[in-house]
Amino acid sequence: MIAIWGQQPEPVQVDAAELETRVAGLTYASGTPYSPDLVKVLDEISRRILQHPQLRHGPQYVALAFWLRRASMQRLADSLRAAEQPGYLPSARGVALHLPPTNVDTIFVYSWAMSLFAGNANVVRLPESLKPETRLLVGLLAATLGDLGEGQRQLFCHYPYGQPIEAALARHFDLRLIWGGDAKVNQVSKLPIRPDGLSIGFPDRKSLALIASDAYRQADEAQRDGLAERFFNDVYWFDQMGCGSPRLLVWLDEPGALAEDFYRRVASLARSKSYQVEAGTAIGKLALAHDLLAEAVTDRHSAYGNALHVSRASDPVEALHRPHGGGFLCDWVATAVEDLAPLASRPLQTVTHFGIDAVACEALARTLRGRGGYRIVPIGQALQFEPVWDGVDLMRHMTRLIAWR
Amino acid sequence: MIPELETALAAPPYSLRQAEREDLLLAGLNRLTLHHRAHCAPYQRMLDGAWQGSTAATRLDELPYLPVSLFKTQRLQSVPDEAIRITMTSSGTSGQAVSRIAVDAETSLIQQKALANSLMHVLGRKRLPMLVIDTDAVFKDPATISARGAGVLGLMRYGHKHAFALDPSLRPDFDTVRAFLAEHGKTPFFMFGFTFMVWINFYEQFKDAGLDLSNGILIHSGGWKKMIERSVDNAVFRQALGQAFGLTRIHNFYGMVEQIGSIFLEGPDGLLYPPNFADVIIRDPETWLPCEPGQPGVIQVLSLLPHSYPGHSLLTEDMGVIRSIDAGHDGWMGKGIEVLGRVARAELRGCSDVLAAAA
Repeated sequence: MIAIWGQQPEPVQVDAAELETRVAGLTYASGTPYSPDLVKVLDEISRRILQHPQLRHGPQYVALAFWLRRASMQRLADSLRAAEQPGYLPSARGVALHLPPTNVDTIFVYSWAMSLFAGNANVVRLPESLKPETRLLVGLLAATLGDLGEGQRQLFCHYPYGQPIEAALARHFDLRLIWGGDAKVNQVSKLPIRPDGLSIGFPDRKSLALIASDAYRQADEAQRDGLAERFFNDVYWFDQMGCGSPRLLVWLDEPGALAEDFYRRVASLARSKSYQVEAGTAIGKLALAHDLLAEAVTDRHSAYGNALHVSRASDPVEALHRPHGGGFLCDWVATAVEDLAPLASRPLQTVTHFGIDAVACEALARTLRGRGGYRIVPIGQALQFEPVWDGVDLMRHMTRLIAWR
Repeated sequence: MIPELETALAAPPYSLRQAEREDLLLAGLNRLTLHHRAHCAPYQRMLDGAWQGSTAATRLDELPYLPVSLFKTQRLQSVPDEAIRITMTSSGTSGQAVSRIAVDAETSLIQQKALANSLMHVLGRKRLPMLVIDTDAVFKDPATISARGAGVLGLMRYGHKHAFALDPSLRPDFDTVRAFLAEHGKTPFFMFGFTFMVWINFYEQFKDAGLDLSNGILIHSGGWKKMIERSVDNAVFRQALGQAFGLTRIHNFYGMVEQIGSIFLEGPDGLLYPPNFADVIIRDPETWLPCEPGQPGVIQVLSLLPHSYPGHSLLTEDMGVIRSIDAGHDGWMGKGIEVLGRVARAELRGCSDVLAAAA
């Protein structure tokens, strides 16, 4: 099936030729990077999300709306303008293709919005059937864009992979952003886009958290609860399946009983927030816990209710690569941030931290350099989008520069 | 063979009352835990890491249990490689992963003895002529022998003068079935097949053929998922076979490759009963505490049979409920359970995915 989302809530079926004509027509449709018009478009989307009867109750949508609002986008525009060099005129890259993951979350909206803000015409290929909330969001985006006259340039569509249409469309793109598993990125990347096009994969990533035992020891009750809550959000917002969701928790220096103190707080939040663990997920977590013990990847396992399982890793490198999701954590004790070097391979994305000062953060960044690990941010910001994603400065890649003198 | 198993096998099948059974099993299962802990290093690591090294439970529900999927991901055996007689495999229903069960000569013998013990309870002591509701092609080619073929072969041991009701393309073989009934239909005979095939390939094909199966004893197994899709539950199944063929002695059973030989056989009240050397605990999927009778939960199976691999206490991926304890219909004792189907497969959100062609 080939279809385009328009003003109606449901996508309209079109034929391959029509979709290709639409995409081909975008080649010279791009706009001015971070212009006031574009600030207005994104602000309107923000406003409508916050007024939406369902979406405004989802924390991830509220976070998205907050980022899209005028003040935030204006600030981004100002900083981009301030960084411009005389004699170089920023230009949109052209036509961008966005391939969000099958189980679309909000991250793709950020990258799409960035690309729109860069002035690009955008094609977003969505799965044929969307989860109810995603359907609402896509409907809202398409309707808002249509109302503001931006609908032609922003195309939300579905077409099948592996059919001639995929290759036919690909050659029109100046930029391709692929979100999803390694296999998907590899498969989709085989099709050539424009010869001067740029294709960027955002494949499987894994993340970890770092807590300084000493800082936790000194934290009072309120600070410990606050930390547990931020950590809870990092872990559970996307069922621990987000790229930035921590799967391994590294304690800097032996935590002793502090670890259990922290886990009890997190588990109690899971209970008070009614985080649901289905029987299948709970059994899967129990099975992974046993697998890791059997393979001597871990040597100890504790369950804090169904929501939080924690295994002490004896092989943290392997543990990081054996995620489960839904509240399964491995922990490990390091003595210095430099101990994290073996954990940093290309798929490492985010290190969230607590009790680590700027000097240690920078030392950690130097440790990660040339290996993997692209964000070092405080606990609570694991899933927060930023314009430098997976180490890629998105705006730079989404624009070109015209040199003039 | 551990002494507790000998004791259990010496009693009339399915006759041990719950209290008596629990005492016997507790001693035997603790003994097996200790044995496997000493002879299977990964099992020891699991016990030490997640069960405080537990080797002496004081109640059955305190026994450590392994999620059954461990046999798909790990090689768990308590005997050296050279002692393994056969590695049993099963694909299960959940995908490509295959369970691999290491069976040595002793455990293999134990499984056969135990299965014979259970089956004798419904088939009698004498070996009966057997009508297999399948094709003989299912086990003819050893290179392609499937779990289904292995199941058929395993049960054929308990009958003789075998006839096969289906041809290699699973169409009804009317001539063979008529010939079998002409020769053996006047006295008790044994029928075995997988539930779904008994329904689709046998019942639906033969229902108007005027067969008299009133002397037949049907044993069937294999899951109800496809049957439920057709709105056929155990009651409908029994009624239809009774009406079409006069077949009333029908015994479903619940079992798994990870505890081969340990079959929960359907008693006269339609419930599934663990044999004397086995038991079942239903666990609440939230607290993992044992459920009261009537409260559905995840099925944990206990069995004294697994000597060569640590499979004596397993958490299955099936839901079930205890309906009665020591109900005593025709002497069937212990827990009578109903299997309610598979635990729903978990689907977690997230941003990494596979290239789903269907998406």
